[in-house]
Amino acid sequence: MVTAPSTGSLPVADWVDPRLLRSDPYPIYARLRQEAPVAAVPAINKVLLTSFAGCVYAEQHPEVFSSVVEGANLNRALGGVSLIRKNDPEHATERAAVNPTLRPSQVTQVWSDRFRRNTEQALDVLAAAGDRADLNRDFARPLAAKNLMDLVGIRDVPVETFARWSADFIAGAGNVLDDAEIWARCTSSRVEAESAVDTSLAYLQRHPDESMISLFVAAGMPVESIRANILLTISGGVNEPQHMITAMVYLLSQHPERRPASLDAGAWRRVFDEAVRLYTPIAMVTRQTVRDVVLEGAAIPAGSQIGIMLASANRDPAVYDAPDDFEPDRTERRHLGFGAGTHLCAGKWVAEASVAGIGVPMLYERFPAIRPDPIGDVHWEGFAFRGITRFPARLA
Amino acid sequence: MVKVTLVQADGSSAVVSVEPGQSLMRAAVLAGVPGIVAECGGQAMCATCHVYVREDHLDALPVMGDEEEEMLEVVASERRPGSRLSCQLVGLADDVVGDVPPSQI
Repeated sequence: MVTAPSTGSLPVADWVDPRLLRSDPYPIYARLRQEAPVAAVPAINKVLLTSFAGCVYAEQHPEVFSSVVEGANLNRALGGVSLIRKNDPEHATERAAVNPTLRPSQVTQVWSDRFRRNTEQALDVLAAAGDRADLNRDFARPLAAKNLMDLVGIRDVPVETFARWSADFIAGAGNVLDDAEIWARCTSSRVEAESAVDTSLAYLQRHPDESMISLFVAAGMPVESIRANILLTISGGVNEPQHMITAMVYLLSQHPERRPASLDAGAWRRVFDEAVRLYTPIAMVTRQTVRDVVLEGAAIPAGSQIGIMLASANRDPAVYDAPDDFEPDRTERRHLGFGAGTHLCAGKWVAEASVAGIGVPMLYERFPAIRPDPIGDVHWEGFAFRGITRFPARLA
Repeated sequence: MVKVTLVQADGSSAVVSVEPGQSLMRAAVLAGVPGIVAECGGQAMCATCHVYVREDHLDALPVMGDEEEEMLEVVASERRPGSRLSCQLVGLADDVVGDVPPSQI
């Protein structure tokens, strides 16, 4: 698949319309996979990789596909360089500080009880919304935000404020059209969030615990890096579990016969993984080539910005039978929804526990009939980060 | 440099050269050995680079750390006495033979 640099050409997909990428990206991914799985897309100024094999290759060759990206929107959004925009060994050193609290045994021992309590509270909020309930606004979003506040170690901030920071950082990171209003929102949220991080940091220096800020402090990380890494965590740690909660309910309402029995943890995990595969919430991760490389017959020049399209890889018919179908029991269990390689989502086990193990099963236990009302009003949005933004729900 | 033979369930095998300081996982991924998924790239976070090291080769392995011990509790295929995460196998003392488990996910 990959050979030494040659004089081969790079296909150009000038037909890709960024507005359609936001509204319904999947037909565009299908055409790219078919016609040019490695293609320059002028509309977003990136070379997009859309096949499973191409995405895996890029993720597994960080020495060519670097995470150090010039002019990265993410760095601007977070006001500093977080570990996701660094390569190993710098990335690995920072990441190693928090990995211990993110492994499965620690998630079970330390965090699961907290996630259960947060879910109960969020269910009360949803119940109180009654006829006007929106599953995203009244359950998925506040629950994801509260779980993450506990995990990072930020208190004394309203859950809604914390959720807004996340949405604003994500909007900044995905601000490919350089909208000034988005940058303004992003900056004001960043100032608030940094101040909250500093407050927690001062407290946790005296009262260490299992939270991420506390572990970063214990590892002796400079304050600027702690801020950038916690802001990164807030970006990815609210929107993504939030989007998976609503995506699971959306899919199960269309396939009620696939809803697992409440205690069947393995079946809930399969539904979760299938939802992550089908509606991959982080659709694109960005890299930059450090040298010329030929991938799947296409010549990518050094210094190109690369979009690894995880959301497209996850629907590649070369890997999945009926890739657009919801099939929790499919034989191919592997997907790239959390990325692949050293930048694999740090919150993978936390997400699985809080969403598939606790959040969604408890939601169905309390509201067995929950469903969209009507399904046509469920609103999806986003390209690099995609999910349900409006989910009017019937609770009974 | 040591040589590691990785045997698949169907009996086919690959011999991988592991450089000093390199993990068996990295060498296997670069050689394209099927079944070494290595989702997390070597941080003992995913348990998808599981191998069964054969009994008569266990002496060549580095001591197992707490993180590896913890992650071996969540491997997809059953844990056996020779179970190791290949990302943690750095500095093998001798050539090794191991089996690739039927599933990593």
